[in-house]
Amino acid sequence: MTEGELKLGRVGKAARVAVAVVGIVLLVNGSARASDDAWPFGPMSQYAGSVPDDYAVTFTRISAETDAGTTVDVPLNIEGAGVARAEIEARTGEIEKDPSLLQQVADGWKKKHADQPQYVKLELIRDTTQLVKGRVEGPPTPEVLATWQVRR
Amino acid sequence: MSATVKPPLGARVAGWFTPKIALARVAWLRTVLYLFVILDMHAFVRDTRLKGEHPGLYQPLLLARIFDLPKPSVANTTALYVVLIVACLIGATNWFPRVAGWVIAPAFTWWVLIGMSDGKVDHDHLALVIALWVLPTVKSQKRGRAAFGDQTRSEAAGWAVRCVQICVIATYFLSWVAKVRSPGWKFTWPGSAVLTWAIVRRPHPVGEWLLHHPWMLHVMQWVGFIAEFFSPVILWLKGKWQLLGALFFLGFHVANTAILLIHFLPTVVCWLAFAPLERIVPWFRKKRLARDARKTEEQPESGRQAEQQAGA
Repeated sequence: MTEGELKLGRVGKAARVAVAVVGIVLLVNGSARASDDAWPFGPMSQYAGSVPDDYAVTFTRISAETDAGTTVDVPLNIEGAGVARAEIEARTGEIEKDPSLLQQVADGWKKKHADQPQYVKLELIRDTTQLVKGRVEGPPTPEVLATWQVRR
Repeated sequence: MSATVKPPLGARVAGWFTPKIALARVAWLRTVLYLFVILDMHAFVRDTRLKGEHPGLYQPLLLARIFDLPKPSVANTTALYVVLIVACLIGATNWFPRVAGWVIAPAFTWWVLIGMSDGKVDHDHLALVIALWVLPTVKSQKRGRAAFGDQTRSEAAGWAVRCVQICVIATYFLSWVAKVRSPGWKFTWPGSAVLTWAIVRRPHPVGEWLLHHPWMLHVMQWVGFIAEFFSPVILWLKGKWQLLGALFFLGFHVANTAILLIHFLPTVVCWLAFAPLERIVPWFRKKRLARDARKTEEQPESGRQAEQQAGA
């Protein structure tokens, strides 16, 4: 069953081929030289790192003291405190310099879970798991990077 | 003896970028991808409106800076949300698909830009975002339901489909490039402890079992590394072989989901650009014709029986 063909004009075809070629060049250039900042033309760097066999694997979390007297790990996702773990990990340095950035974690939790115990003190903690010959050796070691007394 | 004269290289390259593909495939892609965008806004890049409420960690990406896009606020992210939902629903019907498409492309790009403007960028949206930009360039011949069966072969449709295909494959090949670049242009990634690292940071039962068998993780790393390097071959494969290539990568995503909890669905859905979706309507029509033919064969028979009964 043929219902005809639609061909492109010379200009339309040339323009489309040019756009495609420029796009490919941008993508390759981004992968070779750019950073995530160049999205969508940045490098596909998720899980692209070479991790040595003796690497110290770090994992960042936020521990909270609540007004009910308990200590909990803040659920770092949209449904929990409204912030993803990756966002916190990407901004660790900034939070260390300015712990007040943690205030919005408490605010986010309060907004979504007003009926549950609220956070009074937050700690940004880095857990380190040591690899030996590519295998996990022992439990992680925690280290407190920043502490924030929550403003009410 | 007839010798076919090969067209010049330039024309062949241009022809590769603009194959003739039935407009129906673009109609199907519009419907599926525009509906997928709605899903995406609720399931994957779903924190854009939340960032409008708490713009504290907002760190605009290059594109947002180039176009001087305003900081996310409750007002602009809510507007973006409403506009996207309405435009996607209209575009998915294939009524006014180009007008809707030209609204969706920049609006969803902005949506994702905000979603990724907090220090973390995901790499599963390349094909989807580019697909949204190329789909509205295709002029459709038929509107609404009729568009899904339009067998008119169009070079404009072929270009749009090819662009999506290239971006799907680029997602894999460029991942390979990133793996070689990251250790300083070396091939150390497949033999490294990267999956162990990933599992330690995102523990779950399958992964923790695998931690005791690092050799299995290394085999997976090698398979992924080699497959990503050879992925561009799929662009030139045909028929069954292309299907096999596609199935391999879909399996690759299933494995990634099990081990890393990373699904890459926005890329997976774009694999449909490789599928001959334009055959769906003719296939259904043929089935219906066959069924109707059977019915008309049976009808005279029952008619005669009725006559005999009436005469009895």
